[in-house]
Amino acid sequence: MKSQLQRGGQTMINLIKNEWMKIFKRPGTYVMIGILLAIVCIFGAIEKYEVKGNNSSPDNRWEQNLKQENNALKQQAKSAQTKTEKDFYKQKIVINEYRLKHNIPPDATTYHIWDFVNDAGGLIQLAGLFTIIISAGIVASEFNWGTIKLLLIRPISRVMILLSKYVTVLLFALLMLSILFVFATVVGAFLFGFPEQTSSYLNYVNGKVTEQNMVLHLMIYYGLNSINMIMLTTMAFMISSVFRNSSLAIGISIFLLLTGAQITTLLAIKFSWAKYLLFANTDLTQYFEGTPVVDGMTLGFSIIMLLLYFLVFQALAFSVFKKRDVAA
Amino acid sequence: MKSIIELKEVTKVIKGRKIIDNISFKVNKGEVFGFLGPNGAGKTTTIRMMVGLMGITSGDIEIAGHSIKTRFEDAVRYVGAIVENPEMYKFMSGYDNLIHFARMSKRITKEKINEVVALVGLTDRIHDKVKTYSLGMRQRLGLAQCLLHDPEVLILDEPTNGLDPAGIREIRDYLRLLAREKNMAVIVSSHLLSEMEMMCDRIGIIQNGRLIDVQFVKEFVQTDKQSYEFEVIPSEKAMILFQTSFPDVRLIRSSNGITVEVKKEEIPNIVKILVEADFQIFSIKEVAKTLEDRFLEVTAAKGGTNHD
Ligand SMILES: Nc1ncnc2c1ncn2[C@@H]1O[C@H](COP(=O)(O)OP(=O)(O)OP(=O)(O)O)[C@@H](O)[C@H]1O
Ligand SMILES: [Mg+2]
Repeated sequence: MKSQLQRGGQTMINLIKNEWMKIFKRPGTYVMIGILLAIVCIFGAIEKYEVKGNNSSPDNRWEQNLKQENNALKQQAKSAQTKTEKDFYKQKIVINEYRLKHNIPPDATTYHIWDFVNDAGGLIQLAGLFTIIISAGIVASEFNWGTIKLLLIRPISRVMILLSKYVTVLLFALLMLSILFVFATVVGAFLFGFPEQTSSYLNYVNGKVTEQNMVLHLMIYYGLNSINMIMLTTMAFMISSVFRNSSLAIGISIFLLLTGAQITTLLAIKFSWAKYLLFANTDLTQYFEGTPVVDGMTLGFSIIMLLLYFLVFQALAFSVFKKRDVAA
Repeated sequence: MKSIIELKEVTKVIKGRKIIDNISFKVNKGEVFGFLGPNGAGKTTTIRMMVGLMGITSGDIEIAGHSIKTRFEDAVRYVGAIVENPEMYKFMSGYDNLIHFARMSKRITKEKINEVVALVGLTDRIHDKVKTYSLGMRQRLGLAQCLLHDPEVLILDEPTNGLDPAGIREIRDYLRLLAREKNMAVIVSSHLLSEMEMMCDRIGIIQNGRLIDVQFVKEFVQTDKQSYEFEVIPSEKAMILFQTSFPDVRLIRSSNGITVEVKKEEIPNIVKILVEADFQIFSIKEVAKTLEDRFLEVTAAKGGTNHD
């Protein structure tokens, strides 16, 4: 029934408003945002200091340089052992040829706003950390405060309550990423300025090069780099709802956020089952630029693995939350 | 009178222990029902099952004809409740807390919120953060939260906990008013017997997870036998006389004389015997038997046996 669906939607919106209010009535949230903004500024200042003097005037001999580079790359490609290595060189060669043909100089010589936004993508880790803290608390805190009793005796199913909390966490993740992106753009524009010609990103897909709007490219880049954080946020949410313990959720999730990728890379050297680990699959950029953690992994495989992990986390969170006796 | 909430053979087992054992009762509209029992009797557990916070091991609870087990949302719609302490979001104002809970029910206007705030007497402080509230103010805010959606059943777990005598009186009068004027069924739990006596129409006594008695307060307190205290000298001799003349009557030595449990009609007879035996009678007082006395009597008689 449509009206029922509408009413459900309205309830959901109200619940999300409530969760949002509870997040933003606490000073801790503003401290987090403040830290994120401050770190972007500090990062900008460091970059500014480092690139000072490195910024040479536009290179007039770039065409010659590219030709030389390509010759060298072709030699390397010939002696390459694996297919992935060959592909890697081939990609560079094709992009360089595209630049020569269409007269697009590589902008590596000058550091400008988009380079900064790109580099600031490393701070997604920090946005992830804050989102994990929110996610870990959003269910567990209600138990600590005792307010869960009031939340669960209104005519709204527990599934709706938990779902509204998860959606709020996702919105918070989006907010943190947006703040990072927008503020990095502002700081980047202020400190490094725009490049002379509007730059676009050269995408390499299946042996072909296409031009992509730089802002769009960066957004996609941020999106792909957020998968790790979203998965860990989901895990923190699950631990929080299953164990009602936010410290446990924060501890485990942040530990994995900081070390998960390295541990997986180490394991992947020795064991091929490492490809089933969450962190072998969270970095999807490995399929676009670079090589997969374990040979033979494909984009499709990783997406399926991510979905499986996601479903397991959610199934655990919802089934436990739905059934539990609340004696807080 | 129409019943609005009914417990049917409700049992709760936690980790193999029977916390609640086969409890059944009904509460009618317009009635204040007291749920009385010592610490750990199972009052809070029963209330948690009534509002769907805890599952029911066997049996069922129906509110306005809907089972809380199978049709939770339809059933709980009619309920406003405070379970144990009135916990609220301390970092928000009282008003924001009410907005929060208003959003969870349908069609609650700003006017309704203001009306309820005025009703519980919090208008002056409603925009302050809850962490600055006293316990009594939190109780009021909790009550306001329960009343937002005009419930038909109000369930309050120890509502007078932490209130001063004036506050207790206020709550008591207010709950009676809600039952009378709005035809609400009000269920309150307590281990304070004296206040139950003044607040409730009916009380159920729960002990060791079992409902051992449900009675109207009036009947409960007024049984046909009353106690009378005779101030009489010399009292030791009078005791012996009583024991020989009325061997079935219960006697207690009290500070002022002797307390006897007899029917009113017996008094002239007793006086006559005492006077004829040359005792000096200074006064005869009726000793009102409190709910507390009755409560202790009932629990001693029925609850002493353990159910394990
Ligand atoms: N989650 C639980 N797990 C195990 N036992 C529990 C749980 N909750 C309650 N109990 C037990 O159930 C019994 C009844 O507890 P309940 O809180 O219902 O008592 P009460 O009548 O509300 O007491 P009080 O007057 O102290 O509030 C107690 O013996 C308690 O130890
Ligand atoms: Mg209790």
